[in-house]
Amino acid sequence: MTTLAESPLPQAEPSEQDIITGLQQTVSASRLALFLQCRLKFWFRYVLKLTKPKTPSLHLGNTVHAVLKGWNKARWLQNPLTLKQAHDAYTAAWADNTEGSVNWDPGEEEEEKTTGWRLVDTYLREHHVPAEVKPDAVEVPVEADLRRHGLPKLIGILDLVQQRKIIDYKTIASTPTPEKVAHSTEIQTSSYAILYRHNTGNTEAGIQLHHLVKLKNPRVVITSLPPISQQQETRLYRQMDAYLDGLQQPHFVPSPGMHCSSCEFFNECRRA
Amino acid sequence: MAIVLEANYAKKLGLPGYSSHQYSISIRTELTDLSQVEAESARLYALLQSAVDKDIQEVGFIPDNNTYGMNANGQNHHGNGFHGQVNGNDRHNGSTNGTHQAKGFGDRWNCTDGQKGFIQRIVNENKLDKGEVEHLANQLFGAGVKQLNKMQASQLIEDLLVKVGKPAPRQTRWQQRPTQQAA
Repeated sequence: MTTLAESPLPQAEPSEQDIITGLQQTVSASRLALFLQCRLKFWFRYVLKLTKPKTPSLHLGNTVHAVLKGWNKARWLQNPLTLKQAHDAYTAAWADNTEGSVNWDPGEEEEEKTTGWRLVDTYLREHHVPAEVKPDAVEVPVEADLRRHGLPKLIGILDLVQQRKIIDYKTIASTPTPEKVAHSTEIQTSSYAILYRHNTGNTEAGIQLHHLVKLKNPRVVITSLPPISQQQETRLYRQMDAYLDGLQQPHFVPSPGMHCSSCEFFNECRRA
Repeated sequence: MAIVLEANYAKKLGLPGYSSHQYSISIRTELTDLSQVEAESARLYALLQSAVDKDIQEVGFIPDNNTYGMNANGQNHHGNGFHGQVNGNDRHNGSTNGTHQAKGFGDRWNCTDGQKGFIQRIVNENKLDKGEVEHLANQLFGAGVKQLNKMQASQLIEDLLVKVGKPAPRQTRWQQRPTQQAA
């Protein structure tokens, strides 16, 4: 006897309006920054949900993040990783393709893999985070209900919180300058600060951006920022307000500029 | 005649929840000459201020505005364990360091109702030992499950999901997986 499995009822794909309604209810720093950078790119990524192959730099960044997360968690539990254990974790994270695979050019993967490990190795050897200090949180997802401001729910993931300092890891190709970093990451840093405040009831002691720079001789550049000001908080809320207003008008216009050179939707944009 | 110079530096700072803390350092030193007073005073001022500023950053215990000093279930602040039992003995909730955590929560949780429900569901569905979960909270945060703030509760949820083999993936945690391919 053959038994046929009952096929599940087909689920209706959400309409474009359903998706936009969902996007009005929650927002992350990266989603907000992208919307303010280029609405058409936002539409391709979050409304049409076009997917692209994972880039080598994203794969490297994710792998480095994974190892640093493991390293921070281990020292939190007072069972710190040795360099060899960190390397093993790096190798395992590199091989993990569950979030998409990369179309590597010949020889490229080994080179990138080596670069990534050298970044981690440099970071760990230079002791940028004291091993004996317990974290407050490691890669923790948090959200803040901002309905009383008439705004969507803010969501995000904090890489590391330690001694009330919010620390965010970034892998980058060139050495950053503090002023540019403070400016270019403001949406992210303000979002993280608000998330921290809403979830702990405390004010952050500061924000640190730990840039792991992919140079021939890897470097770690730490940019320390003070707690966000009232002005920065207000500015973020206004940006979120602009995001909400923008989503209510179905005008996903392109914003051509220098950033287009690295946009994964360049071809789609030219054809649109 | 020896001249005794006595310097004191004190700082009082506000803390969340209508708290404040203060710290002061006093020091006495002997001078041989009055002409040394100005320079020595400046040196001591800088030294003491630096030391006070460094140490006062450790805020220590900050009482919870909503719960501190309040009775829970008519008991004298011994509600423990995140399952709401009151047994009057904190050591049974998995705390291993022998220190008494200030409590007073009864059935009140510091995190959101959603987080509370999620934690309870993970524990019940996976038959986790509540004492172990309490121990994990103490190990990570030095506090019981009910005392965790929203960020700590979120961290605990992440760790429990890992423990039961259902970790949330980093990149896709907040977003739906893309369903459409590029043309």
